[in-house]
Amino acid sequence: MSIHDDNRLDDAPMVPVECRRCAATVLARKSSWHQTSIQWSATAYQACPERRAADVISAHGPRGVFLACAELKGSIADAVRRGDVSVVDDTVALPTSS
Amino acid sequence: MTLQADTDDIRFIEAEAAPTRFARGWHCLGLVNDLGDGTPHAINAFGQRLVVFRGSDDRINVLDGYCRHMGGDLTQGTVKGNELACPFHDWRWGGDGRCKSVPYARRVPRLARTATWTTMQQDGMLFVWNDPEGNAPPEQVTIPRIEGATSEEWTDWHWYTTIVNTNCREIIDNVVDMAHFFYVHGSLPTEFKNIFSGHVATQYMNGGSRPDLGGTEGAAMLGTTSVASYYGPSFMIDDLIYHYAEADHHTILINCHYPIDANSFVLQYGIIVKKSDSLPADEAMQTAISLGEFVKMGFEQDVAIWRTKARIDNPLLVEEDGPVYQLRRWYEQFYVDAADVTSDMVDRFEFEIDTTRPTEHWNREIEANLAAGTAP
Repeated sequence: MSIHDDNRLDDAPMVPVECRRCAATVLARKSSWHQTSIQWSATAYQACPERRAADVISAHGPRGVFLACAELKGSIADAVRRGDVSVVDDTVALPTSS
Repeated sequence: MTLQADTDDIRFIEAEAAPTRFARGWHCLGLVNDLGDGTPHAINAFGQRLVVFRGSDDRINVLDGYCRHMGGDLTQGTVKGNELACPFHDWRWGGDGRCKSVPYARRVPRLARTATWTTMQQDGMLFVWNDPEGNAPPEQVTIPRIEGATSEEWTDWHWYTTIVNTNCREIIDNVVDMAHFFYVHGSLPTEFKNIFSGHVATQYMNGGSRPDLGGTEGAAMLGTTSVASYYGPSFMIDDLIYHYAEADHHTILINCHYPIDANSFVLQYGIIVKKSDSLPADEAMQTAISLGEFVKMGFEQDVAIWRTKARIDNPLLVEEDGPVYQLRRWYEQFYVDAADVTSDMVDRFEFEIDTTRPTEHWNREIEANLAAGTAP
């Protein structure tokens, strides 16, 4: 079965973002301030300290899935403010601070 | 009337035939109580006919459904001791797939061995491992335990089984399809996020109330909080909380299936409800049954769409849709040889939808329905 490409990536591709805490690189895309896509690599996933901490904490919990890395989320927000990640729907006003 | 001359502007639906290979992974066949009652059960799965039986050693076995002697249908046979007897000539088959005896013959022929399936019993459910390559389940590919399923603090399973005549990719797509929850199911998604990682695909969804849907379960509740994960290709566990004015009802919803063939599958779901001070045992079971009816209605709404929709490999998406392509990339890992699973199928992917615009629009629709005094 061939997997086709997401038509939305024609408007804007995913771009690299480095995490300000662990320096791992992921691919990110934002179509609006509140929408985020993040493609991790196995290397970034292994490197993430928040993910490793969550594994320890949720080891005995019910089916815990690691929801998000807060540092990475902040890093992507920083990248948007710097203009390194462009928001597809740039009619949405960006908050001035996080 | 004019003929469309410039076809460059037309978006065409592309779709390959549904795969004839069946997904590698654990598949739930149903409840142990139903399948382990001492009689043989026929299961049409993975393009074959299987027989499930519990022998006197209490193990539940899954064998190929046809006797290797003259092709008798073992699902019509009888459990005799620890063996399954063929209705045609009484050949006796053990849970290990070997013919244990042919009562009218001096000895069993060489190569009297049939296909068996690795089984697992957990939390009241029977699972089989399907692998077209014939390998055993890897240690890290498991179905998580469901604590409530074996607890006195929760109800028993309210279980439902039905056949759906379409390829099972359609039900997988629901993992990412936020908008259909409003249009097909009468829900009001307010937050929606997906995470795919390894063999697990998760959907986080919070929902609001639908006061315009008078008289339904959807109108009675204030909203829902749901964390639902597929563990492998076919078994989803949904930690689902229904918020009512009086109390929250904590439930676990299982949504699972196994393919019959490329174009049909058996859909099953099960619900358990947590008992509480506001929900003593009897009422909790009644809640499980009534929520079960609500879930059943939901699947019937899906089936009505699937019955006439087109299979589509190139969906045309807006930014407020979920990650359909990335979900299918995740799903593909179960349809290739284990050695051919690539990193893009299993590497973690996150997608959070911006629900601002959908929620605004849907609330306007709800207000319009309420003002008009009509259900949609």
